Amino acid sequence: MEIALMDNLWVILGTVLVFLMLGGFILLEAGSTRMKNAGHIAGKTIFTAGIGSLVFWAVGFGFIYGEGNWFIGLSGFFYGDASFGGEGLSPAVDFMFQMMFALVAMTIAFGGFAERAKLSSYVIFAILFSAIIYPVIAHWIWGGGWLADHGKQDFAGSTVVHLTGAMAALAATIVLKPRIGKYNKDGSSNDIVGHNQVYTALGVLLLWVGWFGFNGASTFAVADAFFGFVILNTQLAAAAGAIAAMFVAWVLTGKADVPTTLNGALAGLVAITAPAGFVEPWAAVIIGLIGGVIVVYSMKMFDKAKIDDPIFALSVHGTVGVWGTLANGLFAVPAFSSDIGWGLPGLFYGGGFSQLGVQIMGVVASGLYAFVVSFVILKIMDKVMGGIRVTEEEEIVGLDLSEHGGYGYPENIHHPDESKGAIWNSN
Amino acid sequence: MLDRYTEMKQWRKNKMETVSANPFTLNEWHDEIIRITVKRALDQVQSERGAPPAPFVFFLMGSGGRFEQGIWSDQDHGLIFHGGPHCQDYFLTLGKEIAVGLDLVGYELCDGNVMASNPMWCQSIHGWKQQISDWLTEASWTSLRYFSTFFDSRGLIGDNRFLHDLKDHSFSMIHDHPELFLRFIDNVDLIKKGIGVFGQFLPEFRGEQSGQINIKQTTFFPYVNALRLLALKEKIYVPSTLSRFQKIKHLYPYIHSFEPYFIQLLYFRLHFQQNARSYQQVHFISLDDLSKKDKKELKWLMRKGHDLFSETKKIIEDGCSRW
Repeated sequence: MEIALMDNLWVILGTVLVFLMLGGFILLEAGSTRMKNAGHIAGKTIFTAGIGSLVFWAVGFGFIYGEGNWFIGLSGFFYGDASFGGEGLSPAVDFMFQMMFALVAMTIAFGGFAERAKLSSYVIFAILFSAIIYPVIAHWIWGGGWLADHGKQDFAGSTVVHLTGAMAALAATIVLKPRIGKYNKDGSSNDIVGHNQVYTALGVLLLWVGWFGFNGASTFAVADAFFGFVILNTQLAAAAGAIAAMFVAWVLTGKADVPTTLNGALAGLVAITAPAGFVEPWAAVIIGLIGGVIVVYSMKMFDKAKIDDPIFALSVHGTVGVWGTLANGLFAVPAFSSDIGWGLPGLFYGGGFSQLGVQIMGVVASGLYAFVVSFVILKIMDKVMGGIRVTEEEEIVGLDLSEHGGYGYPENIHHPDESKGAIWNSN
Repeated sequence: MLDRYTEMKQWRKNKMETVSANPFTLNEWHDEIIRITVKRALDQVQSERGAPPAPFVFFLMGSGGRFEQGIWSDQDHGLIFHGGPHCQDYFLTLGKEIAVGLDLVGYELCDGNVMASNPMWCQSIHGWKQQISDWLTEASWTSLRYFSTFFDSRGLIGDNRFLHDLKDHSFSMIHDHPELFLRFIDNVDLIKKGIGVFGQFLPEFRGEQSGQINIKQTTFFPYVNALRLLALKEKIYVPSTLSRFQKIKHLYPYIHSFEPYFIQLLYFRLHFQQNARSYQQVHFISLDDLSKKDKKELKWLMRKGHDLFSETKKIIEDGCSRW
């Protein structure tokens, strides 16, 4: 009983840590974009978390874990269960932890909306993403769906959370088209630099710490203190990712630029999310290093393809999410996979290509589903709502003013005390 | 008058093709056009305001001063007059007429306003001396930049002795404050890297110049800055990098051994400037336009420039440590 309570306590601590990652995203996204959109970016993260929570409660959790078929769960809607059998996790604790993952995936998806989407499009997409995109993939892999039957390994969500979010973001960037001023007539691209690198760095650090809960609490238990090992792997991969990306940026451009370094740390974290509980620490370092290298080239690739990705969500969560998932098929050790009945060991541990094949199948199927469904939804929204992008004027003025009527940095706008006729002291 | 300037522009355009293969012919040609334009501007001002109230020298700076202009170039010029402050108004009018004229002829106005139409660059000898002293004593990066710009100067019309006088004044100031050499080094030490750690080119990564190398900053500047530093040390009055190479020939034979690379660079740059349509484009070479051999040559010239600058830095720093 005591152990079970500790399990519950640990997972609820993980819940808190993962929810705080939204704070990390607020700082990361606000810092990586322009001042005129800062308040909007922070605010929309909070209200979409509200929408996502209610939708997940109403239908999301049921679609994932309810009794259903290979494709989707179909029970447990409007979840509410105070029972606790004395073993394992209390249903409410489990529910809360799962909900946080759905919110993180949704926040990643909104990275593709940054600086040009209408507020109303966030509202509608938050509902649909939390109801029919994320839960379906989560059901396939974690909820006993068809990929789970194949032994697909995804410890904490490289595919379920990160790739799903990133594919929705990709659909959004394609439907929304690049921001004004991003590309020149001759096809060359301009840097639209973020307004606060300190915010971005603090955002990354907050995410990094939150990831200890994201991966660590995905053990769902404290037995054997295995979570410590998972967190060790997480730390090593993030560290390696940051260093690798900084080095690659320096080699390629002659300058170790800060945003790339920060994306490297995130890439290490995303990459280790699937293999965190399956691999040895040395492999975690390699996985993080490769994640850090891949993210830089991926950023360049999307830029060349004229896909404007303001917060680099596609590269950090998408491309690297794929790598992290595949890394399992290479580095998973028998002790943490076949020996405990979760898939097979990786290619380098005598597992042959079987697990790698399953991982590839998982990535392709999940990626395609998330992209196609998001794309269709966004296209329909675009038609029905008269466009999901703000007008040119609104984009130039900034979403703080155009969508919210306020301003993230009010010191920069007209003050009432400068108005003619304002009184100095009402006394 | 306007017609005469546009007429000159047409003449410049027509003849450019025949002179643009050789950097020396090209620069003689630039000198000729600028000289005629300045004379026309002077005629114009004389016809409106009478003869100049004092003797003066009109001089070129920057690439024009160094006799190193490419096909397109912007304006960098100044004026020194031997007279009281009341003369300044006349010469500023002349400076403005020159700037307008040169612009019409095809030399863009200087972004940094380094033109004889700006009171800062159009002064009496006394005013200039004061300004040079201020530049050299002020703890500012910009003022040292101004001084370097001024130092690469060459009289085009008027009495050259005025410019010589100012350089004398500069040399004696620097002689009294040898610590200035370290500041001169600092001022030009940050060179935009053209080659990465693995020997690959580092072109521009953003904007309309993506994929192009800024040949001025990555390749040209190390040579020019190195020889300017040595000219300051050895009290050399001539502004062109090649003449400076000649002057230090016996003092620093190793440095002199880099001269052929600089000549090679002048030809290389000119060859790839032929397609540039504006001053904005002239400093950039698209990597796509370079053959394998060209790329090798450019990297070699970059490396040599880098070596030359490092060697020069050592010479200057060694000199400083003895003071």
